[in-house]
Amino acid sequence: MNSHELLTIYSAKAIEYLIAVAYVVLFIPFWRYVNGRPAAARVPAAERARGGQPTDWFRMAEGILFHPGHAWARVESPDLVTVGLDDFAGKLVGSLSSIDLPAEGTPLAQGERAWTLQTRAGAIDMLSPVDGTVFAVNHAAVSSPRLPIEAPYEEGWLLKVRGRRLAANANQLLSGSLARRWMEDLTDRLRSHMGLELGLVYEDGGLMIDGFANVLDPEHPELVAKHFLLTDGGGSHA
Amino acid sequence: MHTSNTARQALPVSWVRDKLLMGMSLRRYLRSLATPFDAVAALILLVGVPVIIYRFTFGLGAVTNLSQANPWGLWIGLDVLSGVALAAGGFTLASVVYIFGLKQYHAVVRPAILTGFLGYFFVVVGLIVDLGRPWKLPVPLVYSWGTGSVMFEVAWCVCLYLIVLALEFSPALFEWLGLRKLREWIVGLTIALTVFGVMLSTLHQSSLGALFLLVPHRLHPLWYTPFVPIHFFVSAIIAGLSMVIVESGLSHRIFRNQIGASAHADLEYITLGLGKAASVVLFAYFFLKIQALADSGAWALLNTPYGYWYLVEVLGFVLLPCVLLAHAVRRGNVALVRAGAAVAVAGVVLNRLNVSVVAMNWNAGVRYVPSWMEVVTSMAVITIGVLTFRFIVNRMPVLHQHPAYQPH
Repeated sequence: MNSHELLTIYSAKAIEYLIAVAYVVLFIPFWRYVNGRPAAARVPAAERARGGQPTDWFRMAEGILFHPGHAWARVESPDLVTVGLDDFAGKLVGSLSSIDLPAEGTPLAQGERAWTLQTRAGAIDMLSPVDGTVFAVNHAAVSSPRLPIEAPYEEGWLLKVRGRRLAANANQLLSGSLARRWMEDLTDRLRSHMGLELGLVYEDGGLMIDGFANVLDPEHPELVAKHFLLTDGGGSHA
Repeated sequence: MHTSNTARQALPVSWVRDKLLMGMSLRRYLRSLATPFDAVAALILLVGVPVIIYRFTFGLGAVTNLSQANPWGLWIGLDVLSGVALAAGGFTLASVVYIFGLKQYHAVVRPAILTGFLGYFFVVVGLIVDLGRPWKLPVPLVYSWGTGSVMFEVAWCVCLYLIVLALEFSPALFEWLGLRKLREWIVGLTIALTVFGVMLSTLHQSSLGALFLLVPHRLHPLWYTPFVPIHFFVSAIIAGLSMVIVESGLSHRIFRNQIGASAHADLEYITLGLGKAASVVLFAYFFLKIQALADSGAWALLNTPYGYWYLVEVLGFVLLPCVLLAHAVRRGNVALVRAGAAVAVAGVVLNRLNVSVVAMNWNAGVRYVPSWMEVVTSMAVITIGVLTFRFIVNRMPVLHQHPAYQPH
């Protein structure tokens, strides 16, 4: 091999050098283009997909399926879900004196009574969002009943349920934009209802009062709560 | 005594029901398979499996249009070369997460490793179908070491990497079976397995390209280049990244009930990140292709029918997805990222078919065209791969985290 070959200029080599230089030069604007203006366009798209934006008054959460009786379910694995009560239910009752959760191994059926909230006004049942068997109980929520009210989708979960019909159950639950519309609709109706009851109009939002069942009917808040939580044996929402 | 016997009999029944039939009775499970997808898959297998049996009974000559002049055909081009490239997501994502520490991509590592493992597994299946004497497959591994042969290196690498991928995926299997100790032990080997996997992939992805260095007189000059091993390696990274984008997008749609909305939102961020990486690698790959063209000095051949086809590959399936992905990432358009990735995947498959089939023996008197039985066999092997993927994802913690275990 000729030792001078590497230094010999010939046309193909010149073109190769030019291509290498062109690559480096063009890569700079390419890189700037790919990375440019990320926040304005990208974040809203991803945020929209998160589907868990809170409504004015009630917090929702990502990855949650909602039961119309204000219980939620989060699928953890193909046969395991975590369930709890949603922010609406928490703000509805305001505070709990205790919470009666079913023991591990108890069978649950979607839409049937699952646990009971003990309030000053009386006991209020809530419905199970899924079919299955209780696999674990959140003892922290039992010993500290504020937890399901303050952090309903996080530390305030109530049960872990092993279910075998989760796909079928999920079809009966609300998620994503559907859940958001449902909660917004409830909020709107509540807003007009509370306006009539109290003469208060929350045109630009404001914060919902904890224990608003007491506001709606100071005599029988438990009946209002049962009405919203679908355990009053019939009727419709506000 | 009676109770213990009953318990002993009931255990396997409930195990089969829980683990294999997804908690359903056999009848209900079979009914759940009555979907249009399963009908199409059944139709392909109904034709494909007898053809495979026919191939093993009567030999390659009865089934294929392969010959001494054209010993490599569709099975090598599609099932083996494309399969290996598309399975590159395993080593790409494992190195991204476990070596470079980009933990935000953790959610797609397991599906990528599973895709890699099944990809390689079915590459070996495809190879067994293609080899004239498949029972001789272990010979280069244990008996006749042809250390001067690229094939020897490829054989060893694919064999070892298949084992590495099986071990990398095994934590999901052990979680599914509840074997905690084994799972913890294998999780401790993650970094070592990842490093070994990257080494093996780097070697054999490029070696598969190096095979074509042996046939300068048979491969069209637009595709023949000393750069071909580098092209194969770089395009495998593109295929791996793009395949993870496409496959995770499809998985999140098909296995929707296994994945929470937060995971769907996370996937959007992941998809944008992978899309950016794929567009950058495509940009580099485009220049490598031009560089090879300059090196071979084959510019004049661009104005020939083969040249037009070459331009379709390079402009339509390298430059176009590069621009599509860059634009989609800039706009935060996840759907467009997936579309761009799908074009990139198609581009890598097209490249492998071009190198191994279309541009191979381009100047021969008799051209190879695959027989219908070759096509059906390839479709059957791919279908079995897809069904296996679905079987595993429906049962093991692949797309979601097992609640009883910490992520690793």
